[in-house]
Amino acid sequence: MKISKITSVNQLTEIRDLEREKRDQEQNKLHVCVCGGGGCIASGSLSLKESLEHKIAESGIDVSVKLTGCLGPCSKGPVLRINPEAVIYENVHEEDIDRIVSEHLIKGRIVDSLTWKNVSDGLSFASQPDIPFFKEQTPIVLRNCGNIDPANIYDYIGHDGYQGLAMALKGMKPLCVIDEVTQSGLRGRGGGGFPTGKKWEFTALEKSEVKYVLCNADEGDPGAFMDRSVLEGDPHSLIEGMIIAGYAIGSSQGYVYVRVEYPLAVERLNLAISQAREAGLLGKDILGSGFDFDLGIRMGSGAFVCGEETALINSIEGKRGEPRPRPPFPAQKGLWGKPTLLNNVETYANIAPIIQRGAAWYGTYGSEKSKGTKVFALAGSINNSGLVEIPIGTPLGEVIYDIGDGMKEGKHFKAAQIGGPSGGCIPREYLNVPLDYDTLKELGAIIGSGGLIVMDEDTCMVDMARFFLEFVQEESCGKCVPCRVGTKRMLEILNRICEGDGEEGDIEKLIELGRQIQQTALCGLGQTAPNPVLSTIRHFRNEYVEHIRDKHCRAGVCPDLVRAPCQSACPAGVDIPGFISLTGEKRYAEALKLHRERNPFAAVCARVCFHTCEEKCRRSTIDEPVSVRGVKRFLVDQEITVQLPEVRENAEYAKRKIAIIGAGPAGLSCAYFLARLGYKPKIFEAEDRAGGLLVQAIPAYRLPRETLFREIRMIEGLGVDIETGKRLGRDFSCDDLKAQGFEAVFLATGAAGSVSLGLPGEEGPGVVQSLPFLQQYNIRGSVPVGRQIVVVGGGNAAVDAARTAIRLGAEEVTLVYRRSRSEMPAYDEEIEAALSEGVILKDLTQPVEIIRDSEGNLKGLKCSPVELGDFDKSGRRRPQVNRKKTLIIETDQLIIAAGQRLDQQLIDEQKLELGMNNFVFTDPVNCRTSRDRVFAGGDVTTGPSSVVEAIAGGEKGAAAIHQFFTGEDNVFWREDKIIETSYDPDSDPAPYHREQIQMIDAQRRKNNFDEVEQPWHEAVAIRQSKRCLRCDYGKVCQHQEVNK
Amino acid sequence: MCHEPTEAEMMQSLDHIIANFEGVEGALIPVLQSAQNLFGYLPESVLKHISTSMKIPYSEVTGVVSFYSWFSTVPRGKNIIRVCLGTACYVRGGKDVLKALQDQLGIQVGGTTGDREFSLEVGRCFGACGLAPVVMINDDVHQRVKPSKLREILSSYQKAGEEVHS
Repeated sequence: MKISKITSVNQLTEIRDLEREKRDQEQNKLHVCVCGGGGCIASGSLSLKESLEHKIAESGIDVSVKLTGCLGPCSKGPVLRINPEAVIYENVHEEDIDRIVSEHLIKGRIVDSLTWKNVSDGLSFASQPDIPFFKEQTPIVLRNCGNIDPANIYDYIGHDGYQGLAMALKGMKPLCVIDEVTQSGLRGRGGGGFPTGKKWEFTALEKSEVKYVLCNADEGDPGAFMDRSVLEGDPHSLIEGMIIAGYAIGSSQGYVYVRVEYPLAVERLNLAISQAREAGLLGKDILGSGFDFDLGIRMGSGAFVCGEETALINSIEGKRGEPRPRPPFPAQKGLWGKPTLLNNVETYANIAPIIQRGAAWYGTYGSEKSKGTKVFALAGSINNSGLVEIPIGTPLGEVIYDIGDGMKEGKHFKAAQIGGPSGGCIPREYLNVPLDYDTLKELGAIIGSGGLIVMDEDTCMVDMARFFLEFVQEESCGKCVPCRVGTKRMLEILNRICEGDGEEGDIEKLIELGRQIQQTALCGLGQTAPNPVLSTIRHFRNEYVEHIRDKHCRAGVCPDLVRAPCQSACPAGVDIPGFISLTGEKRYAEALKLHRERNPFAAVCARVCFHTCEEKCRRSTIDEPVSVRGVKRFLVDQEITVQLPEVRENAEYAKRKIAIIGAGPAGLSCAYFLARLGYKPKIFEAEDRAGGLLVQAIPAYRLPRETLFREIRMIEGLGVDIETGKRLGRDFSCDDLKAQGFEAVFLATGAAGSVSLGLPGEEGPGVVQSLPFLQQYNIRGSVPVGRQIVVVGGGNAAVDAARTAIRLGAEEVTLVYRRSRSEMPAYDEEIEAALSEGVILKDLTQPVEIIRDSEGNLKGLKCSPVELGDFDKSGRRRPQVNRKKTLIIETDQLIIAAGQRLDQQLIDEQKLELGMNNFVFTDPVNCRTSRDRVFAGGDVTTGPSSVVEAIAGGEKGAAAIHQFFTGEDNVFWREDKIIETSYDPDSDPAPYHREQIQMIDAQRRKNNFDEVEQPWHEAVAIRQSKRCLRCDYGKVCQHQEVNK
Repeated sequence: MCHEPTEAEMMQSLDHIIANFEGVEGALIPVLQSAQNLFGYLPESVLKHISTSMKIPYSEVTGVVSFYSWFSTVPRGKNIIRVCLGTACYVRGGKDVLKALQDQLGIQVGGTTGDREFSLEVGRCFGACGLAPVVMINDDVHQRVKPSKLREILSSYQKAGEEVHS
């Protein structure tokens, strides 16, 4: 390219106008921008551009193709944009080129299959301004990225390039420039957030013949790549910012310190510098102003610490990149002992627009204390990963859900890690926090360089902290003791915790060490190194406790604590790979025995379990998770004689008197495990039948009663005595049991109290709570059912009530829920089944009034529509009722399923204390309540929860009672069994897809209570069990999970 | 067959590089970077030559070289193997793959085989977590690597190398 020297501001403006004119003329002409950002190049955009150019030439059409900087959405790459309509095509491959040319470029028809699609809602958009990812952004730093050709200085000039410099040189004194920067409120974008204007002022005030302007482009934070994007996509914006800085502080030489890992950035920056020199924008007498300034590049050599300013200066001087003590600050004594100004790439890229458009304009973006915009690098478990620039103060939730298009694979947001190894995490309670310097600091995180890693529930926070600490420990330069030795000690503790050897007191040690390092380390690297640890302890202390005390990693990540992620995710700890592989070899009896080692209710759970095991299944990284429940459903049907696991008779234990109150899943499982140890516990059940909610609430079409009773009979067969019709509080009390000689009591009475809606008119005919409604039908065999029924609630109880009502002849059943369908706690397959049976779902609808006629008869439910607002503490969008609009749903029976709570009176009578969750308090280790010899488990302690969690609570209670009696803290069933099944670890994953569980047709099933789900045939079940990847292969966990 | 420069020729090129930086402050690191590009690594002889020519104490030169991870004082292999030990790969057996590689190649992390075919390194994350465990050889990403398949993968690189040489 021929570049002639520009000698005056007027000449620069003339060139700009010429370029603009050229652009305006070509405005309506087709041209293609191919994204040349690092991500898109890795996915093949360079060869794509070549093919496109080739094809265009072949077709003989006049369309230009331009390689631009990063457009932003890296996960959608390669991305290209076709102007003038700004149509964005995503994931473009070689084979799509023909269609793009023949359809779009020749015939002018948009290729729909390649346009942008939101993953979360499936909406597609053609034009860039309509796409939420772009629409919500405010590009100042990235103003030119993706629009201009970074290898062409005229393209930059044509987009107002060097106009900021022109204004500064032409009419502003250096102090005015600094004042403008100060007024703008710009703060350092590299991490520290120090006011930029102040820094400039300090350097300007130093008296020295020689001063330096440095740019930190040593972007070392794993997960941040915005500086690279500017260097590669718009290098002149950095150069212009640095020249202005040089003018402001009185320096004539600058250096850019770029990391060696960015070869393309170095290449483009080199080219831009030489073009700027040819154009006279670098060198002597810039634009005829008499001001001289030149730039050089220095490359880093792979040392993270060189991102620290004094270490960076040492490195430019050709020394080891160790930090120097401050003061003196670089503003006083920096590079070669001269006053030195150091900012990062993003900060400099803000300067030209600030000078050109003014501090007041810049101040209209951002929050009160933090002005302007910030570029974030979105990555992790998020649909749109890539670069986004947003006004500072934008809430985190908006970035994740609006710009980022939500969580990958519909997973739940757990936390965002901001600021890399110097930063911290923000948990879901704070999705509303504005992303600004001060708010994040209060939460123990920092904006830092802007790396924003989104994490779902499959991330272990302890492991994450360890990951970052390992990084800083490796990168510590070793000059000061706190950083060199302190981070090493912290890492050792964290390694121990992750390996299952954590000790009580480790968390406190980590906090103490962390604080000391923060206060005493020499440089920023050391001072911030403990942040990821301290911040995860602050927000996720429980996970540390679980690792240390329970030897449990809830995310299924820490290898020493996790035999297989499914087993780790199962609250009852069932050996899932074991029984799946035994089923695959048709060894059904052994498989069932193995299941019942940890969970007596194999047949029940095959029907009603919420199978968290499948959520953690690693097969889902290949296609879909193994259908654990489907295999189990087949397996339990193969049981002819009941398969009992090991029982250790013990005459001594048999004499101990243990009472269990409540024959629900928790009480029954506690009895089962006690019986296997040789005890003969007695259960007191309030209702006429044992089974708790399994028999009272869960309808027979989901859980046939004979299936349930068979497993209860099995437990009775182990020597457990169940006495029905005995209600705690009515027929006996805990004191009575003690007086009768019971040595231990296990309380498992569940959470049978109902939560009301709190609307006037709730008391009266026609309104019933879901639990009594289901109970009455399931126990007594009949319940009054209306014609037009409204069920309020979104949980399984609501869906059960709705489907039961349909079966009992209701003509119309409407389910009213205040949040959106995707947020309903009920299992998705249950909701789906209800809809196909004719239940009408009105989500985003809030009941506001119960309407009755003059005689008090129920007439309808008045509701208002709900809009989703900001984020609440559960990380879900808060329902905001629009009371201006109402609708009335006619109804003659209203079933309320708004939740369950504790029967408060009962608990008060038994003199039991409550925990933080307002349910019965128990010690997490030994299940003891506030009363001597009274233990508790299940819903009464946890609040409404799942069947399998109640089973796990019962098991834990049995182990705790056994420990109380004998002092032994090991129970035999918790040891992993070695299962001999054939498995070739080198074989490829079985190529079968996940099979659905069949259901009886909706029309045939909606009039009766026959079981809806149908088991597979043997051949299907065997194939499905072969899909298991056997994560357990060759692994016996050394650490027994003591409790979960 | 292409002409491989002799040691003397390379030393001459090194002198040119040093001469280019004559009078430039803080030139040591750029010179070392160019030298490593030239020789592939930084042998003692090169470091000593730089030390005498630039009049920088040898201790200072080696101090700088040992500080930055990009510099290598041992020859590196034709093929650089990087085993990902990011979280996903770690959990999916990246560690087992690394151990198998160490056994098969007979080198530790940071080492190079005697025939200079392979160097072994670990990486943090290559962003291919869904395909874990991942091994990157030069610029190729190998997905879902199993210890038993390593031999096959490695031999494809050895062969490719031989064909070029013959």
